[in-house]
Amino acid sequence: MKILIVDDFSTMRRIIKNLLRDLGFNNTIEADDGLTALPILNAGGIDFLITDWNMPGTQGIDLLKTVRADAKLSTMPVLMVTAETKREQIIEAAQAGVNGYIVKPFTAATLKEKIEKIFERINAQ
Amino acid sequence: MEVFNKAEQLEAARALVNAIEQDDDARIKTELMVLTNARESDLFQQIGKLTRELHEALNDFKIDARLIDLTHKDMPDTRDRLNYVIQTTEEAAHKTLGYIDKTLPLANELKQTAAKFIESWQRFRNREMSAAEFRELSREIEVYLPGVNTRADEIHSNLSEMTLAQGFQDLTGQVLRQVIGLVEEVETNLVKLVKIAGQPQQPETQTTDPLKAEGPQINAKNKPNVVNGQDEVDDLLSSLGF
Repeated sequence: MKILIVDDFSTMRRIIKNLLRDLGFNNTIEADDGLTALPILNAGGIDFLITDWNMPGTQGIDLLKTVRADAKLSTMPVLMVTAETKREQIIEAAQAGVNGYIVKPFTAATLKEKIEKIFERINAQ
Repeated sequence: MEVFNKAEQLEAARALVNAIEQDDDARIKTELMVLTNARESDLFQQIGKLTRELHEALNDFKIDARLIDLTHKDMPDTRDRLNYVIQTTEEAAHKTLGYIDKTLPLANELKQTAAKFIESWQRFRNREMSAAEFRELSREIEVYLPGVNTRADEIHSNLSEMTLAQGFQDLTGQVLRQVIGLVEEVETNLVKLVKIAGQPQQPETQTTDPLKAEGPQINAKNKPNVVNGQDEVDDLLSSLGF
């Protein structure tokens, strides 16, 4: 299981990476923007995408839409971890096909719960 | 008002000189008036032009609703944002320090209990321990080991919480970026204002009091009178004989 972590703040990428390691996910790769994430996704091999919303180049919501629109990537599980909390945003993400939406600041328990939920749904399909 | 070009002005001047030479009072008066009118019309032209420019600049400013927004909404907003940064960083620091306070005793306990066992084990190895004492030691170890497990788990959990607490940097960083954006906007508008005010002011060279408290230095490397780190402080003091 290879997980791509996308956030423009290096500290947040590091925190998520550490939390994933605690949950047993050791194979992670990082990108600092939706823009730099795309070539990584297109190169293949990524099984799970965790992304922030507010990034200077390509925003997380647009990255999500791009992934869903790409035949090769459309089924990828996507988890948003973001400080964006407006209702319209959450609805937009859900309608764009996000699999989970975590708001910052978050707890390790929440991350674990949401990831487990996503995998449950995938395995049930 | 008629506009006089240079040739016409020269002609009028010559006519005036002529009239003066001929002592023709009536003509002097007339020619003077012609020249004065030319001058006034010129002045009027200049003033008219300036007034139009000022009017347009002011209009640009009025149309710039951003300026009004900046004053009423964004500046107070910015104060809130910066206070949020102070608050968030304070909370994160205290949270982390709190977990450290909880974790240090755990590490100490492990160390102390281990020290006790090292002593006992040494006596056992030196055959200084009776069977009964050894049975007691075994019991103590049996109690101790699960305790190590629990302590280690607690330490791990505390460290994880400390990791999460560092999330403040991302949140405050996002807010600070917004503030930077706003400061840039205010800067642009101020530059516009200064241009309208017309006079290119020389920036005031303020003599800063070197003893005035400034808080942490942001660009320490580029300032010759600022030390970088404790080592340079110690070097400076020892070079002065302290």
